Amino acid sequence: MTSIAVTHTRLVTQARRDASADRKFRTLVVLAAFIVLVSLIGVAFSMLWGGREVLSEQGLGFFFSTEWNPVENRYGALVPIFGTLVTSVIALMIAVPVSFGIAVYLTEVAPVWLRTPVGSAIELLAGIPSIIYGMWGLFVLVPMMTAYVTPWLNDHLGALPFIGELFQGPPIGIGLLTAGFVLSIMVIPFISSVMREVFLTVPVRLKESAYALGATRWEVVWNIVLPYTRSAVIGGVFLGLGRALGETMAVAYVVGNTVRFSASLLEPGTTIAALIANDFAEATDSYRSALLLLGFVLFVVTFFILAIARLMLLRLSRREGVR
Amino acid sequence: MTELAFSMNAPVVAHSPRAVAANATAKMSARRLNFHYDRFHAIKDVSLDIAANRVTALIGPSGCGKSTLLRTFNRIYSIYPKQVASGELLLDGENILHPKYSLNQLRSKVGMVFQKPVPFPMTIFENVAYAIRHYEKLSKAEMNVRVEQALNQAALWDEVKDKLKQSALGLSGGQQQRLCIARAVALKPDVLLLDEPTSALDPIATSRIEQLIAELAGDFTIAIVTHNMQQAARCSDFTAFMYLGELVEFGPTEKLFTQPGKKQTEDYITGRFG
Repeated sequence: MTSIAVTHTRLVTQARRDASADRKFRTLVVLAAFIVLVSLIGVAFSMLWGGREVLSEQGLGFFFSTEWNPVENRYGALVPIFGTLVTSVIALMIAVPVSFGIAVYLTEVAPVWLRTPVGSAIELLAGIPSIIYGMWGLFVLVPMMTAYVTPWLNDHLGALPFIGELFQGPPIGIGLLTAGFVLSIMVIPFISSVMREVFLTVPVRLKESAYALGATRWEVVWNIVLPYTRSAVIGGVFLGLGRALGETMAVAYVVGNTVRFSASLLEPGTTIAALIANDFAEATDSYRSALLLLGFVLFVVTFFILAIARLMLLRLSRREGVR
Repeated sequence: MTELAFSMNAPVVAHSPRAVAANATAKMSARRLNFHYDRFHAIKDVSLDIAANRVTALIGPSGCGKSTLLRTFNRIYSIYPKQVASGELLLDGENILHPKYSLNQLRSKVGMVFQKPVPFPMTIFENVAYAIRHYEKLSKAEMNVRVEQALNQAALWDEVKDKLKQSALGLSGGQQQRLCIARAVALKPDVLLLDEPTSALDPIATSRIEQLIAELAGDFTIAIVTHNMQQAARCSDFTAFMYLGELVEFGPTEKLFTQPGKKQTEDYITGRFG
């Protein structure tokens, strides 16, 4: 009788101790998770706070002015925003079709023994430090642009109506187009590895039933695989876009770093990230405030792009779960 | 013309002389067919005839090669490297394994339906039209007629006629499978291959499909792989029993199930192994 009572009390104390340990553990991990959220919001807020001076002086005009004049304390974000968007769009225009080709080759065409090594090689490309891409761009790609690409573009596309203006410029090699090229190489691993992964989720029988109706490989990829994975593919492209928008070092090397508006892709320009990296050391007072505000713009844009990417990628996995 | 004459008059060469009734002709014939997955010998010297406008069932335990055999009939295996069929496989007297035989032509003549319903990620209408568009340029009106016809043949029209523009993924499993059948028959093939078409379906949807198989048998030559012996007994005219890659016994379904000629067949159909 007594022994049962003793055992009982011991069990009760044990249970109480377990429950309290559980609570402590819970608090600990919740804290860990919250640190990320708090720092995220903190970063965004402190940048906006740092930029309040320029924002209050110039208001929304900051976003629409092409003038960037630290001497007169007048700052306009349009040129770096334009440069960021243009270089990213060029990068995607090249990287999306190439990545699609890589993913199709690796999932549908390549012999099985080649798929894993080539796939890993492409993923390794993503891990190369961006300074390497920057140096390669400046020392290898820029001379090639000067010698071959720019003269060719001037001669062949420069005279065309409407788009001709984009391709007129001095053969200096550095500029928005070169930056776009370098960025495209940098985002290809991201986009192609997402595409490859989601293409692998397409049920084998679905593809076989298209083949059984006489579809060719191309038709199976274009009519079956791509529609089935559409949202995830868009997600992968946005992942690459987020990367391209924020890339700093490689772009700073080859973009020219000139805050002057020009319609030509061959003229030097700048992007938000490159401008911040180049000028931050010398910036004081309102100049510094302008760069922080610029940083806030980049933060918000990339945040939303990546959020959309996540959402799109989630959609496919949710549908996968339903099946 | 000569080919046609051949197919109409060719005597059926079967494993056993009683295998095929006198009034049935062979639509497809395997002659000493072998199949390898890389080094694995999956089908060993199989010869059999698939009778025109009849239902032929392929049964046997898992891994016996029945699905593999079916997959040679439209050469669907050829999208994979290292899968090789040798021997002869005649369709209307022509060897479809010959490298010069057009895959496109083969797949318009031999349609296939798989274990799981796999509608394409498109609307119901497009699922059927996609197949047709592949082979024929039709006007909008003609296409509407063809799609309706195919859906009717698959006994699906009445259930989907008001939602042709909706995604096929919203249909029930049984409806999706009938849509896959509609997609296959829309090409007006000669032969329909059914690879365990009801294995993912509930009993009601299954009996609906079996009924449909009986209706389709008049217009098409059907080969069906099934692991369900009752299904083979219920809806086929001929049955082939395979074991370890070999064709053990082949004959009229009624005979194979009531008086099997081989001990192995008897053991399998009475449930002693498999």
